[in-house]
Amino acid sequence: MHAQIKQRIESIITNIEQLPSIPEVASKIMNMINDPDVSFKRIAEEISKDQAMTTNILKLCNSAFFSKGKEITSIDRAIVTLGLKEINDIVLVIAAKPVLDKAIIGYDLGKGDLWKQGLVAATISKNIAMKKNKGIADIVFTGGLIHNVGKVVLALYVQNTFNEILNTVKERGITFNEAEKEIMGFNHQEVGEKILSKWNFPPVLKSIVRYYHEPQNAPDEHKVEVSIVHVAHSLSIMAGIGVGSDGLYHEFNDFAVKSAGLSGEELEELFSKMPNVLKQIRELL
Amino acid sequence: MDKSLINVGVAQLKIGKKPTTLRTILGSCIGICIYDRMNKIGGMAHILLPSDTTGGIIPEKYADTAIPLLVNSLIKNGAKKEYLSAKIAGGASMFKFGANVSLGQIGERNIAETKKTLEKLDIPILVEDTGGSAGRVINFFLEDGRLKVRAAGKEKIYYKI
Repeated sequence: MHAQIKQRIESIITNIEQLPSIPEVASKIMNMINDPDVSFKRIAEEISKDQAMTTNILKLCNSAFFSKGKEITSIDRAIVTLGLKEINDIVLVIAAKPVLDKAIIGYDLGKGDLWKQGLVAATISKNIAMKKNKGIADIVFTGGLIHNVGKVVLALYVQNTFNEILNTVKERGITFNEAEKEIMGFNHQEVGEKILSKWNFPPVLKSIVRYYHEPQNAPDEHKVEVSIVHVAHSLSIMAGIGVGSDGLYHEFNDFAVKSAGLSGEELEELFSKMPNVLKQIRELL
Repeated sequence: MDKSLINVGVAQLKIGKKPTTLRTILGSCIGICIYDRMNKIGGMAHILLPSDTTGGIIPEKYADTAIPLLVNSLIKNGAKKEYLSAKIAGGASMFKFGANVSLGQIGERNIAETKKTLEKLDIPILVEDTGGSAGRVINFFLEDGRLKVRAAGKEKIYYKI
């Protein structure tokens, strides 16, 4: 363990200023959407105050990914046609893209790779939930989208310690993220959780980011959501989406598959549909 | 952006000639790179699964259908069967996977089916950079058929054609 590196990471994650941000208007809108006491009308008004946000939302409402067929030309129509949950997803796609859509040097990810993986994991997670548990489809979409956000901050330190991390993986037979913690004192899931705290995201999303590599340790009330994202993440790296220097040095565990309610055949089917998922997200890249 | 660089996505197949470079990123998938050393044309298939069990719509997705398709497109574009050779990369497995997650070792099945199909077509495999748990970024340079493999932060270049 490098005490100095641990200390530096600690000072970053305890200093809110140094963690990535999302636009204030985005957090405000998402909080309003999740507050049952706030009316449609007030949410529409809040969005309309921000010209860029309005344009972006309308653009995504009419993309093949989110569109319900009819052309949407106003925020009021968007909320009525797609529903608030979809608008929440759209706002997060807009807010998270600048954070995730960049090269992540230490993990050897080119510009766009981490963002693509987020979109793929989000889409697969949503597809699983639509089959097994519709009520959580939007939450797992959101969680899938940002599950890897901690890598953005930790990458710099992984770059300096990569060989040691990989040697630890090989010598001790532990996964890459376990070795991150061993060598740097933190893994990217813990850093991701801190980022979500800064963004005031709800506990279930924090659980997804914190436990997606170890769903068995997630709080009971979030185990299913975390498990679904674990499966979606595993399928994405196996297909080479968002696979970086950490490779497939991770675990694809039975607990998650069981808790997501998936059979071996269903897993293989989800994997074989990867080209369809990639086609679906093309417009959002 | 380098115009001669072409990305080959999951379940896609691309062919080209000098100065084109074909590039892809692999986990458990296999990148099958076939080159005609005399005519200097080549192609890459990025397969996801060993074989089709559903009477599939996308032949590029499976080793047993994508490889013959790749060979035929190369021949149609001027390659000669007797000058063809293959380099294969990818087929990684998850480092750990549960007893019920047989998909975790799909990489191994992909490697086996790829080799079987190439053997059936009588195309020699000159390079195998497969297995393990590393992801791979591969670049296949059609000017001379060399293959660059970047895995776990390190690069290797295979020149044999």
